[in-house]
Amino acid sequence: MDIAIAGIGHTPPVRRSPKNIRHLAIEAIQAALDDAGLEGHDIDGVITDGVIMPHTVPREFIAAQFGMTRSFDGGVSFGGAGVAAAPELAKLAIGARKARTVLFYFGVDWGSRASGPYGFHDMYPAKMAFEKPYGFNAQPSYFALWARRYMHEYGMTDADLAVVAISHREHALRNPLAQARTPMTLASYRAARMIAEPLRVPDCCLISDGVGAFIMTSLERARDLRQPAVKVLGSSFASEAWSGDDIFTQQAEIFRVTGAQAACRSALAEAGITLADIDFAELYDCFTISVLMQLEDLGFCARGESPDFVRERGIGVDGALPVNTHGGLLSHSYLLGVEHMIEAVRQLRGAAGAAQLAKADIGLVGGWSIPDYGVCVLGRDAR
Amino acid sequence: MKSTEPEFAGHFEQLAQGRLCFPYCAACQRFHWYPMPLCPHCRADGWQWRGINGSGTLYSWTEIHHAFDARYTGALPYIVALIEFPQAPGIRLVANLVGTSSMGLAIGQAVSADFSQVLAGSGPLVFRAHAVAAS
Ligand SMILES: [Zn+2]
Repeated sequence: MDIAIAGIGHTPPVRRSPKNIRHLAIEAIQAALDDAGLEGHDIDGVITDGVIMPHTVPREFIAAQFGMTRSFDGGVSFGGAGVAAAPELAKLAIGARKARTVLFYFGVDWGSRASGPYGFHDMYPAKMAFEKPYGFNAQPSYFALWARRYMHEYGMTDADLAVVAISHREHALRNPLAQARTPMTLASYRAARMIAEPLRVPDCCLISDGVGAFIMTSLERARDLRQPAVKVLGSSFASEAWSGDDIFTQQAEIFRVTGAQAACRSALAEAGITLADIDFAELYDCFTISVLMQLEDLGFCARGESPDFVRERGIGVDGALPVNTHGGLLSHSYLLGVEHMIEAVRQLRGAAGAAQLAKADIGLVGGWSIPDYGVCVLGRDAR
Repeated sequence: MKSTEPEFAGHFEQLAQGRLCFPYCAACQRFHWYPMPLCPHCRADGWQWRGINGSGTLYSWTEIHHAFDARYTGALPYIVALIEFPQAPGIRLVANLVGTSSMGLAIGQAVSADFSQVLAGSGPLVFRAHAVAAS
């Protein structure tokens, strides 16, 4: 059965919100319901990521608040991969007639937490025992090791990383809600403070409080609802035999994005298309180097060629492959990819404002939560 | 460094004696890291700790300039290295590199363990870079 995204909602991105995470979730979900023209009691399936939300805004809390009687309930991966793989789970549920209308929501309050995004990794026992005592305790330091090694193997420079950062900032300047709205040049990039060499402030994602939500139902039903339906052409989760403890340091080819190739191949096959059919991509840009790695592992270019790809083919709104047209985690907000899904829906509705692409018929969302990966391919409903 | 994982303890007990040890599986003759209850390569139960000399090479490194945790504020900047060992192929160790600046380092450079802090019980294992870059 074909399914579609019928409603989207989110809270305005902000570093620290005066509202707590449960209130933010309620606001985002209400916005998604309003967008679709649905009521809480119309939802009979609820999906979140399987790790973060269960501890902050559990699904049964949302069901109680909105009056949802559930016949389907699921959690998938954590963070980014869960966002992009949620439609896979919804499609299974709706296709099997276990549910008719499925809500997904995800968000974080890491802007307000003293431990920020870093406390998340305290759940990994080996990191606590063998890494934290050495001050290796935060995501920028992992990606800094990868970026340094990538520079060594493929000759990447900080100017290549700057191309990614500047492109994302230019997109954020087109989005009135984006958190980072100061124009960026190579000079201002290089003048920025070093965080974990070779990564500077603009190489690292923002920190945010916020929640996003989207509602999925059959394509047939979505066509009767308030907004233009956005088709889920394919959605897939994939991962490999690694844990969050060892993936950051022990993989033979350390900057390989586990799961990306398999998830992408599966989602494209489900959609019956190839990468050449993709008009734009919303990729999990936790760091500038992350974008380069995913362009390679998703198959947009070969290993080692992504610095050339972003410079010569372009990832801006006028480039060969526009990437993160809302500004991404680097310049819009750090909600671990739920804003990427929402932006893809906006593009396919033709509602992306100053960032609207001239051609936006098919978009790819790549969600990463190392070592997991999710891909969702969305399409304009051209009936 | 106290951990709830019993398979971690041997590493620190050996370190306190000035020995650098990693899990080695006699069944498949491979190292793994971090320690897991079963060998992740062949699922054998009962791997052993195997000691190596502390000589390694620099796989990558980063100089940290931001205190992600307030307890490191006074230590900035410091270098975190990812180190490979000829005597323990297939694994990499995270540790601090001391006595050098980031500017003088190169991937492939020889480094060696300095056990003085762990023997004195005054801090974690550190590594020192050899003067000449190997790459
Ligand atoms: Zn084994």
